[in-house]
Amino acid sequence: MTGDEPKFLAEIRCDGHFFALTRSPIDSQALARELLRGEDGAVVVFEGVVRNNTKGRPTRFLEYECYESMALRQMEQIGMEIAQAHALGRISIVHRLGRLEIGEASVSVVVTAPHRQAAFQAALEGINRLKREVPIWKKEHFEDGAVWVEGEWDETLRAGQKTGR
Amino acid sequence: MVVKVLFFGVLKDLTGLAEDTAEVPAGTSISDLFATYSRRFETLEAARPSILFARNQEFVSPNAILAERDEVAFLPPVSGGA
Repeated sequence: MTGDEPKFLAEIRCDGHFFALTRSPIDSQALARELLRGEDGAVVVFEGVVRNNTKGRPTRFLEYECYESMALRQMEQIGMEIAQAHALGRISIVHRLGRLEIGEASVSVVVTAPHRQAAFQAALEGINRLKREVPIWKKEHFEDGAVWVEGEWDETLRAGQKTGR
Repeated sequence: MVVKVLFFGVLKDLTGLAEDTAEVPAGTSISDLFATYSRRFETLEAARPSILFARNQEFVSPNAILAERDEVAFLPPVSGGA
């Protein structure tokens, strides 16, 4: 790291909310400080972290790739819908791409709100929707080979009926 | 007319293509376009039920009709978020 590299590969700021893709480590605490307003009494930080195995098979490292322009739009759409549905302050959703080692965060969802319940709910909804609606894929590298992990789509996206635009 | 086609995840490995340019007749649907690739790359057909289609960065039905310079993406089931 030279310090000259851009922190985010692509980012969108909207009404104080923040959505980004990055190839660098994610600093959720810095995001939380940036999001927090005087009237907020709760901050929830969720990080999805690379674990060292899948069903007991040791993982060496992961690699993430995405459809950049569409992934960022989807993250923004999900975040803005969540911000409208809950009594929030602000939300940020950041996903990391490229090679990630065990213990590193691949995704961060940070929510601030006046009260804890909205913050917890919004953060959970954020990560749950990201996992089923944002075009990001992970390749898991084992000792003896690598596989693209296939999760699942939110089936309501299938006919294009949930684009919201 | 010409459209841009993007392949992601396992579909990129199956075809060896990340990005392609396709010349298609007017009236071609996304489904038709996918069929031309699954004739070229037989293993694609098995992936068909699980993938979603996007046109110009939005999810669309496979029946959507393509327009000049559309960007089409074939999207296997996602696995972001750890």
